[in-house]
Parts: sequence; structure tokens; C-alpha cells
Amino acid sequence: MNNFNQFKKMFAAQLKLTLREKQAWFWGIFFPVILMVIFMVIFSGSSDDEFQSEIAIVADNPNPASEMLLTQINQLPILDVKSGEPVSRSTAEQWVKDQEVDAAIVLPESAEDTSFVLVVNKEDEQGVTTQALSAILDKIVQQANLSAVGATPTYDIQFESVTASTNELDYTDFLLTGMIALSIAQGGMFGMVDLVEMRRKGLIKRLRMTPAKMGIFGLSDMVMRLLFSIIQILLLSLIGVFIFGANLYINFFSLTIIFLIGALSFNALGYFISSFSSTQNAYMGVANIVSFLMMFLSGVFFPIETMPDWLQPVSNILPLTYFAEGLRDSMVYETGVLSGTLWFGIGVLVIWGVITFLLGSWLYKRKSIVAAR
Amino acid sequence: MNVLEVKNLQKSFGSIKAVQDISFSVEAGEVFTIIGPNGAGKTTTLEMIEGLVIPDHGEIRFGDMNWGQHAVAIKMKIGVQPQSSAMFDLLTPEENLDLFATFYEKARPTEDILQLINLTEHRKNQVKKLSGGQRQRLAIGLAMISDPDIIFLDEPTTGLDPQARRHIWDIILELKKLGKTTILTTHYMEEAEKLSDRVCIVDQGNIVTIDTPSALIEKLTKEREIRLAFLDGEKAAKEADTFANQLTSVSRTEQDGAALKLWAIKPEDTLLDLFKFTKEKEYQVEQVSIREMSLEDVFIAFTGKEWRD
Repeated sequence: MNNFNQFKKMFAAQLKLTLREKQAWFWGIFFPVILMVIFMVIFSGSSDDEFQSEIAIVADNPNPASEMLLTQINQLPILDVKSGEPVSRSTAEQWVKDQEVDAAIVLPESAEDTSFVLVVNKEDEQGVTTQALSAILDKIVQQANLSAVGATPTYDIQFESVTASTNELDYTDFLLTGMIALSIAQGGMFGMVDLVEMRRKGLIKRLRMTPAKMGIFGLSDMVMRLLFSIIQILLLSLIGVFIFGANLYINFFSLTIIFLIGALSFNALGYFISSFSSTQNAYMGVANIVSFLMMFLSGVFFPIETMPDWLQPVSNILPLTYFAEGLRDSMVYETGVLSGTLWFGIGVLVIWGVITFLLGSWLYKRKSIVAAR
Repeated sequence: MNVLEVKNLQKSFGSIKAVQDISFSVEAGEVFTIIGPNGAGKTTTLEMIEGLVIPDHGEIRFGDMNWGQHAVAIKMKIGVQPQSSAMFDLLTPEENLDLFATFYEKARPTEDILQLINLTEHRKNQVKKLSGGQRQRLAIGLAMISDPDIIFLDEPTTGLDPQARRHIWDIILELKKLGKTTILTTHYMEEAEKLSDRVCIVDQGNIVTIDTPSALIEKLTKEREIRLAFLDGEKAAKEADTFANQLTSVSRTEQDGAALKLWAIKPEDTLLDLFKFTKEKEYQVEQVSIREMSLEDVFIAFTGKEWRD
């Protein structure tokens, strides 16, 4: 039988084996989808909304100064004044205690009085909202001070965000690409457990007794795994885009390259783990540790920059870091194949893949002499 | 014509000499059985012949082919059923056979194999749902898919119930009819006796003896066990016991109720004397038998070891 026919038959068998392996579907498809949905629901729900705070205004003695400040506050869309008008101090304090408002602003009691009071709940004293409110008030006071002396501000801050590309990355896109990277990586790291089972049951030995071309057998297995990963990408992307509104700007050429290199590299890692694990449990133990470490240290759920400084060098050597970044570059930033960072990441992945593959092959060879008995 | 020739095979694993010096040749169309206790070197010998283990020393020839130069050609010619019946558990028997068929240049139709191993009914069930005997039959089927001239069966019936074992015997006899050469290892003496043309007894990495089962048994000039049962009960048995003990050909006796067992070197002479005695006394003999010698006796005689199933 010629090679192509042999490949077709072997691939058909691999396809059936994968379709019938319920575990593969659970861990490869169902689990990442559930994990992604949970994370997206928890973390991306309100992140798009702008800062807004509900406050109470106390102006017990209306005067020109307080009138002027009140108008300014009312103009700020981010501050929502409860009940629309000033209330008494005691009412405002009660609201703060009951956490019905984030804070109460007590306006100056007379034109000569120049102090504000910001009343917040003790529980929220260090909160982000309090900080933001006090900064806003500070700004208002500064402006009032400046206008009081008739000066115009010399310095001003203009806020601008800078990214590597034109497309911005929000958390949904970040998480989506991270989850895709994670599930492909896990597919590789956990998938090679088949090899352990095949060896334990003597199936590898059995195949070696036939004239089967093991290269073609391995190739059909690899093609099946890649196909499975493509299903993962498609499914996760569809859910991300249509349910959670992720924005993808895909450069297919760079995506194909990073996908192939990444998937092969993580399969090599799985192959390496399989070479020294004699039972399924041993394999799963090692694969779980490796996958857990990478899951949290490789910027899948949160950017690496948010981690402590001493931990970041660890992230910088993990393959998943570069795989996730590469997928982000090619799926969100539409980075072309000429990008240096993309190739640096690919380089790291290739190094991981080659080293683990060679180590694995070496261990397999050494073992087969011992296991020949 | 010899289809397989093995000369001075040796193999050590560390300090353990698994195979010390094994030589034999197998003729086309015969069932050649290797028996021996656990750790005798059966499986290692077989794995060297199958090309899985490289011998430290010695020669293996399939006609004019050897592993060094004709590995693929040999693999095309032989079929192997290893001890661990390894196959794809998530595929059906049919799919397993189809997949293995792609490995070879020529293959027998899956249909024929399924019929031969009597799995046509279960062709669409995943292997993991098959019974031990059914799995074992499929393993033999996988060894036959390429229509090989030489088939290696490594303990094909170990752990099977008598019914399943008989199924496998039928397959092996069927293979013999087809003119295939079968090399078999087994734990069961009865099996070796029933199926083999020649038996090779291996112990501690060496061949103890090779011959046909009947010739091996004949080689033993040992006393035979005779059993008698009397219709007249214990009294008759006791009297016969006393009489038998006076005969020079009888070495010892055992009487239990109406039954009498005696061991004699020439059982036919002993029986003649005994029947004269019973005729005189007018005792009726209900049953009489001479126990057949089995390969088990041969094994014990040659190795000095008890046989353990």
C-alpha cells in the first residue's frame, strides 16, 4: 500500500480514536470554553463602563462661593448628585453611612470660608472611588484658586494612550487570545498521555512488530492534533466574538506560523513528559504541575506586568508567554510576519520544542533497551 | 524444508542470563511449541526471533533472510500475537483489522479473518467491550491479517476459560490445515500435547529436549498408575490390595474404599495377575484404567521440577 493511502487509513483511525475519546473532548473543548466564559463574565462585565460616582452635596448656607462650586460639580457628568440638589449635612452623613452614596461634599459655609469637606465611609477610605473623588475635588479647588487670583493654568495634562498598533486591546480580547493559547498548549501537554497508555499496553511494541511506517503513523497523529486545535481556536473565537464582543483583527499568515510552531512545540513538551512517565497518573501529575504554573505565570488571565517584579523573569522564559503574545499579535494587533517580537517569540518556542523533543527521543531510546525484556 | 533456523542464541539482561544457548529449526507447516516454567527464557527467545530484541550472540534465519538485512521483508512474512494483547481499544475489531491491513503489502480480506476468529457478530463493538477470549481471538486475527507464512503465538490461552481456550485451539488447528507454520508458547501441557507436532522444553535459558509429544512420553520408562474399582466394596479392594503387594512388578499401592490404585512398571502383566485373582474370588471389577502419561510427566522427568499452571 502506498504511503498516501497508508496515511489516509491511519488518519481515519486517528480521527475515530479522537472522536471516541470523551476525555479529550472534555478537557480540550468543554473545559476551556467554560473557563473562558467564567472569566469573561467575572472580569469583563463592567470594565467598559466609565468611572461614575454618586454623591451628596451639602450646602447649608448657600453663598456665591458654594453656588459657583455647585454649578461646576453639576457640570461633571461623572458625578451624579443624589436627589439632584443639596441636602442637609445629617441626611448626607446618613447616606454615606448606609453606603447609598460614595461620598458627601460639604460646600463652604460662607464666601470667606475656603475649605471643603469630603465625607466618606470609613470602609471606603482607601478605596479607588475615594481616591478618584478627592483628585477630582482637588482639581476643582485648584481651578477655583486660579480663577480667584485671575490666572490661567500654565501646565496641563493631556491624556493619551499608546499601543504598539492601531487596534486597542481590551480585556475580552486579551482573555480570548490567552484562552486560545492555553487550550492549545494544554492539548499538547495533556494529549501525549495516549503515548504512555500505548506503551504501557504494549501497543507501541505491537506496531514495531509490523512493517508499519511509524513516521506516517506519527504524522497522522500530529495532523489529527492540529485539526483538534483548529477546532479549539474556531470555537473559542466564535464564543468570544459573538457572545462577549471581542474584536479580532487577524493576520492569517502570522497566525498560521505562530499556531503551527506553538502547537508543535507544546506537543514536543508533552512527548518529553511521556518519555519519563511510566503510568498515566504519573504523566497527568507532571502535566498538571507544568500547566498550572504556566497558566498563571504566562499572562493568560492577567498581563505579566501586573505580577511582582521578581516573578517576571520566570514568565519571560515560559513558552506559553510567547505563544499567548504571538497569538495576540496575530489575532488582535494584526501584526505582520516581519515583526521582530513575533520572531523572537517564535524563536523561544522553537528552542523549547526542539530541546524537549530531543530529550524525549533520547529517553525513549534509552528506555526501549531496558523495556525490551 | 526449514522456514526458521535459530542457532546458538544468547541474551543477557545485566547479570541475568535469560537465554544461554538455544538452537532449533522449524519446518514448514508444523506447529512447534516451546514450553517451560516462568522465566525459562521463552518470551525472550520469541522476541529475538520476532526482531524486537537483538541477541547478544547467535543467528536467526528465515529461509535465506535475516533481521540485519531483510527486516521489512521478514515483517511482511510473519504474524505475531504478543502476550499482551495490545490493540486499539476504542476501535472495533473490524477497524483494528482494517488498520493493521494497511501496514502490509498484501492482506487477507477482513471478512475472512473475522469469520476465522469467530468475531463476525462482534465486528462493530469497540474492543474495550470484548471479553478476554474475544480479545485474544482478535489478537490472533491481527497476527493473521497479512496472511503470513509463519505465525507466532505467545501464550494465546493464558487466563482463558476452557470454552475460550477450545475456541483458540480450533483456530490453531485451522491454521495448520491452511499449511501455516505456527510457533507457540504455552503454560498448558494439555495444549502442547493436543496441538503440537514437536515440543521444545526450555528451562533456565537452555533447551532440555525437542521431540514429538508421543516420542517424548515414550522416552520415559516410568511406572504407570493403574486404577481399579470393585463392585463388591471395600472388602474386595482390601483383599486385592494384599494380593497386589505380593506381586514383584508392583512398587506401591493405595486403597481407599472400593477403589484401588497401584503403580507398576509393566501394567499389562500386573493386570493379568490381578484379573486371575478376581476371577478366582468371583469379584466384579467395575472400572479399570491405566492413566495416560502426559507431557507434564515428561516435564517433571526432564527438569526435576513440579509443573505449575
